[in-house]
Formats: sequence, structure tokens, C-alpha cells
Amino acid sequence: MSEEKQTEYVTLVSCDGFEFKIKRSAAILAGAIKNMLDPNSRFQEGLTGRCEFENINGLVLDKVCEYLYYNEKHKDAKDMPDLDIPPELCLELLMAADYLNEREREKETNSMRRRYDKGRDFLATFWRFR
Amino acid sequence: MTGRRTGNRIRGPHSALTDFLAANNISAQQIRDSYQQRVQQAEAEDPAANDGQDNQDGAEEEDAEAAAEAAAAEAAIERTKKRKRRSEKAVAKVKESKAAAKKKAKKAKKGDDDSDESDGDYDDALENMYKKPKKLPGQLENCETCGKRFTVTPYSKAAPDGGLLCTPCGKLVAKDEKALAGKAKKPVAATKKRRKLESDRLDGLVRNGAKTLVQLCIEKVAQHHNDIEEFGDLPVGLLTRLGEIFGKNRVLNSRTLRLFLQPDLDTLAVHEAAYLETEDYEQIFAVIPRIKKLVLNNACQFKDSSVEYMKEKAGGITWLQLGAANLVSNDMWIKLFEERGANYETLKLTWLDAAFDDAAVAAMAQHCTNLTRLKLERCRQITPTGFEHIIHLPKLQHLTLHLSHEIPSDRLVAMLTTIGHQLQTLSLQRALDADDSFLAALHTTCNRLSKLRFCENDACTDAAYAALFTNWTNPPLRFVDLNSTRDIDNSNPDGPPDTTGLGDAGFQALMTHSGSKLEHLDVSSCRHISLACWLAVFDGRKQYPCLQTLNVNFCGTVDTTVVAGVFGSCPQLRKLETFGCFGVEDVRVPRGIVLVGAPRAQDQIEQFGEGWGAGRVVEVGA
Repeated sequence: MSEEKQTEYVTLVSCDGFEFKIKRSAAILAGAIKNMLDPNSRFQEGLTGRCEFENINGLVLDKVCEYLYYNEKHKDAKDMPDLDIPPELCLELLMAADYLNEREREKETNSMRRRYDKGRDFLATFWRFR
Repeated sequence: MTGRRTGNRIRGPHSALTDFLAANNISAQQIRDSYQQRVQQAEAEDPAANDGQDNQDGAEEEDAEAAAEAAAAEAAIERTKKRKRRSEKAVAKVKESKAAAKKKAKKAKKGDDDSDESDGDYDDALENMYKKPKKLPGQLENCETCGKRFTVTPYSKAAPDGGLLCTPCGKLVAKDEKALAGKAKKPVAATKKRRKLESDRLDGLVRNGAKTLVQLCIEKVAQHHNDIEEFGDLPVGLLTRLGEIFGKNRVLNSRTLRLFLQPDLDTLAVHEAAYLETEDYEQIFAVIPRIKKLVLNNACQFKDSSVEYMKEKAGGITWLQLGAANLVSNDMWIKLFEERGANYETLKLTWLDAAFDDAAVAAMAQHCTNLTRLKLERCRQITPTGFEHIIHLPKLQHLTLHLSHEIPSDRLVAMLTTIGHQLQTLSLQRALDADDSFLAALHTTCNRLSKLRFCENDACTDAAYAALFTNWTNPPLRFVDLNSTRDIDNSNPDGPPDTTGLGDAGFQALMTHSGSKLEHLDVSSCRHISLACWLAVFDGRKQYPCLQTLNVNFCGTVDTTVVAGVFGSCPQLRKLETFGCFGVEDVRVPRGIVLVGAPRAQDQIEQFGEGWGAGRVVEVGA
């Protein structure tokens, strides 16, 4: 897989058609988005830099983007003020957050990839020796 | 100006009359002026009446006297006014910060204009001269704002620029003040937030960077628990998390419980059920009859009838955890075990004072033959007789006991010889009577343990601990809690010559045996471990690759060097507690670690590692 040059901004699209262009560095803080955008994952999103979410609407995705920037800004800070979340949005946002930012999921895919890499290496050596 | 001031201010004894005049605002200057005016008038009207020099002299003499008197009176007036002004100022400062600020600004301006520093007082006095005197209660006065005439009362408000206000205007001013006070209260909320932050830190919640979005949302949901109608199809993990937060915030009541009751669930954990009524418990089993795991803490209203209902409706429960269910009678416990006992794999009962006696334990041991986990904490009615039944549980793997009655050592040994070989968890809190024979039995019988808690014991010797951990067939332990195993004798603080409790030999044997797998270690109050031993164990070169939390509270010998050694030896360390270790100071805490319990008041009680990268460069002395 050739290392293509990655764009600085990526596009997140909500189910009702709103597009949010945000910095890649912020977007990949969400585990799911990171996996989608990973060029090695061979998802289409990795090539186009465009993620479509069929179960997240514009309002929620707007808040998600706001959080991602907030998170990036306060990466190393302590005791920063919490992000303000409108109460009427919080349940939907909770679902979206759970979907987008699961560390476990991230870990899982990482370990899967590692296993995959190991297997590939093994096969490579296997074929070489044959 | 200064000259004039000193010239004017004649101080000395003064009569009651001058006081009276001053108090009633009668100025001698005024009297003199009006007198002179009258004299001049008289002169002008009747020049012929001017007799001669004598009269004139007398008048001059009178003038001088009047001048002296006037000066004295003026000084007195000034003094009382000053006093008044002072008290007024104090009131104004407290009540009307706005007005005070204005005044100050004015004064500051004046200060800028006048080069002479000591002019301030005089200017104030001058300013006050033009002010109306404060009226006493009962007198009539015109309101400063609206100009209406009103009767002064003790409660009349002072206007910002002096004078008094009528009742309606006073009320308006009071309202403004309240609003101001409200604004001033805001910092209190900030303090509260800070306190919460500190408490989080003490709980070991180290956090660098922002909270996760999930966490933020869950907190928000808990805040607005009253407005939620349903959760929708949230994943089970989130529901559990929400349940925990609701319990923690004590907002889990009949209404909010409904949100968590979804028929397709098989787990329900209510960690704070104090607000739930008997009907709510029945609702649980009516809505989720297929429930497998039930956790109810502080279930005060969980009664016989609820148990009956649970027994009939929810037959599939395999994990039952009840806290403080004191309205369930002994007979009901026995009945429950008779009918459903065989289902239970996990049973955790805590804080039972009123019931659950030895007979109930016997019934449990007889019928719950599939139990693998048993926890009986603070069940007051269980005696050593009841304890003996526990050994008849054939599949038990995890045993946690915290009983009020002391269990003799020989019974503990008997328990170990029967079921010790299959135990993975053994937690005995307050095992006061256990002695060296118990540790010896542990050494010979247990070979599958991964979690060991044995605390508050002052009978076992260091040699016995060392023997336990030396050449033990048991694999390395994951969790060890040996806190408060030490000799207690006020008259002999150093303890007997052969150490009682976990000492040097025991601690070193423990770390040699379990160091490679140990994740949590609690040796607080094991005060017989010496500094040399600490330094030998945590020398910065020996590695304890899994150790995450270490508690060395009240181990007096621990000092800064030891702490540095701990940082060097434990790459996975997250939290180190050092309350009561007075040798620990000025520690540089590596990133990602929290050190709790700095001994000096001016230091922060917990210290966070920051600024350092992954490499832990810790200088190790010694």
C-alpha cells in the first residue's frame, strides 16, 4: 500500500446531508473515524477523506465536531471547563459518542491488524522458503 | 492649605454646650455671622447711635471670644462628623460596594489633583460639611431619590451619596444589593467544583486531557434525569454506566428506575436502591422475568413479600447481590435457599444485622451447592458455628468474609484444608484470631489463589509470612492486601523482638514470590518493614511489571528515596498512596502517576506527574 499524501481536512457527512469539514488531526481522536480514515484499512473513506454517518444527524454531528476540536485543544490540559451539551441532545449524542469513540473497538482493530500483519509476515516467509 | 488646617484645628477641653451645639448642627460661625449682620444693620440704620470708642472695644472683645468659641465648636463638629462618616463608610462598604467604589474613585481623583497627601481628611471633612446631618428615627426627612417627605425609622436605608431614602426607594436599593450579592456568590460554586476535582483525584481518577464525550453525555443525562422519558435502545454497557451514575447521584427512584427496566435485559444493577419501594421491586421482576444477575445495594424496602415475588417470577437468577436487606426474615432466607438455592452461582450479602443467622447459613450451605462466589460482609448474626457450614460448599472458588464474630484459628485451618485447594480468591477482613497455623495451612493447601486479602491481624509473625511466600506452589498473586498486620501495644511501640505482622522477611518473600504478576498491593500500616527492606525491594532495578496501585500508608519508614525507587521499579504504576509517611517530600512525580498523601499542609495532597515523557528518569539515591 503506497503512502498517499493525506489531506489536512476531512469531511464528515450527517444522515440528513450536512457536511462538516474538520481537521484530520481532530477527527482521528474518535476511534471509529480514525479507523475509517486509516489508509491501510482499505475502507473507501480512507481514500476519499469523506465519512458518511447514516445514523447521526446534523445537529449531533455538529456537536461531535465541536467536541473533537475541544478535545484536541485540551489534549494535555488539566482541569479544563467541561464542554456544554444541550440537554435535549445528550441522549442522541451519547449514542453517537458510544458509536464513534470506543477505545476498546480501537484496540480490537489494532490487535486484529497486528494478527493480520503477523499472518502476512508468516505467509511471506513461508512462500520464500518454499 | 496645611497651615490653614492646623490653624483652624484648635483642640482642647470643651463644654457640654459645644457638644450640644455640635450635635444639633448649630454653628458658632453662623451665630457670629448673623450677630455681625445684625450689628451692621443696626449701625446702618442708626449711625447717630454710635457713642464712642468704648462700645467698639467691647464689641471687638466679644468678637474675639466668639471666634474662639466658634473654632472650638467647629472642631467638635468636625470630630463628630468624622465619627459619623467613619461608621457610614463602614456601612457603605458592606452594603453598597458600588457606591463605595464611586466614592473611592472620586477620592482617588482628588488624590491625583492634590499633591499634598494629608489633604484627604480635610477634603472629606469639607465635603461632609455640605452634607445634611443624618436625621434620627422619628424625625421627618426628604427622600434623597424621590424627594418625598417621610418619617425616618431605624430601618431607613442610607442613600449612596449620604442622606436617607423613603421606604419604597429603600426597597428598590435593597433589591439591587441582593442582585449584587448574588453575583458575588458565584465563586462559591467554583470552590465547590474545585472540591469535587480534589475528591476525584483522591479517588485516583487521574485525567490528562478532556473527558470523553461519553462521560460528558452521561453526566448531562444524570443531571437532567427528571426530563427523560425513555432511554431508547442504548447499549447495555452504557445503561450500566448510567445506572451507576444515577445511583451515585442518588436520583434512582421509582420514576427513574422505569427507564432501566427493559424486558430483554438479563442484568440489573441498582447500586443505591434506598428510594425504591416494595412495588418497585415487584415491578423489576414483572418486567424482566428472565433476569439473571440482580444487584441491589441499600435495598432497605426489600421485604419478605419481595423475596417471595422474586422466587416465583424470576426463577433464573444466578447472581444475587443484596445490600442492607434487613426486612427479609430468617425463615424467608431459608425458604429462598430451599427453593432456588441450586440456581445460585454467586451470592453476595452485605450489611445484614436483623436477620441471616447461623440457620440461614446452614440452609445456604445445604442447598446452594453450585455456589462459586460467596461474599458475606458485615452480617452480624453469623457466629463461628455458622462459619463452619461454609466449608460444605463444594464448588466455592471465591470467598470473601468480614464477620463481626471472631473465628478461631483452628476453624479457619479446617476450612482451608477442606476447600483451600479450589479457592482463587480468599478475603478475610478482621481476621483477628488467625495465627501462624493459618498461614502454614494457606501455604500447604492453596495453590490456585490469585487474590489474597488478610488484614487487621496481630497474631501472625513475620517468620510465618516469610514461610508462606517461600517456595509456595501457588502461582504469583495478582492482588495482595495485608494491611494492618502488625503488633499493637501502646506500651511497647517497637513490638516484640521477633517481629509480629508483616516485616522485612515476609515482605521480601512476598515480592519475590508475586512481584512478577502483582497488580495491586496494599501493605498500609505494616509498620515493621524497615527502610533497608524498602530500599532492597524497590531499588529501581528490580522490576514489578504489572504493579498498578501501591498503598504504603502509615509505613513510617518510607521516604523520598523509596518513592523514587517505586517509580523506577514499577513501570505500570498509576497510584501510590503515602499518607502518614513523613519522610516523603519534594518528589517529582512522573507523568501518568498520582501520588496521594503528601504530609505537609502547604503541599497539594496529591501530586500529578506531568511534563515528562514516557521515559521515567528517576534519580535513585542510596
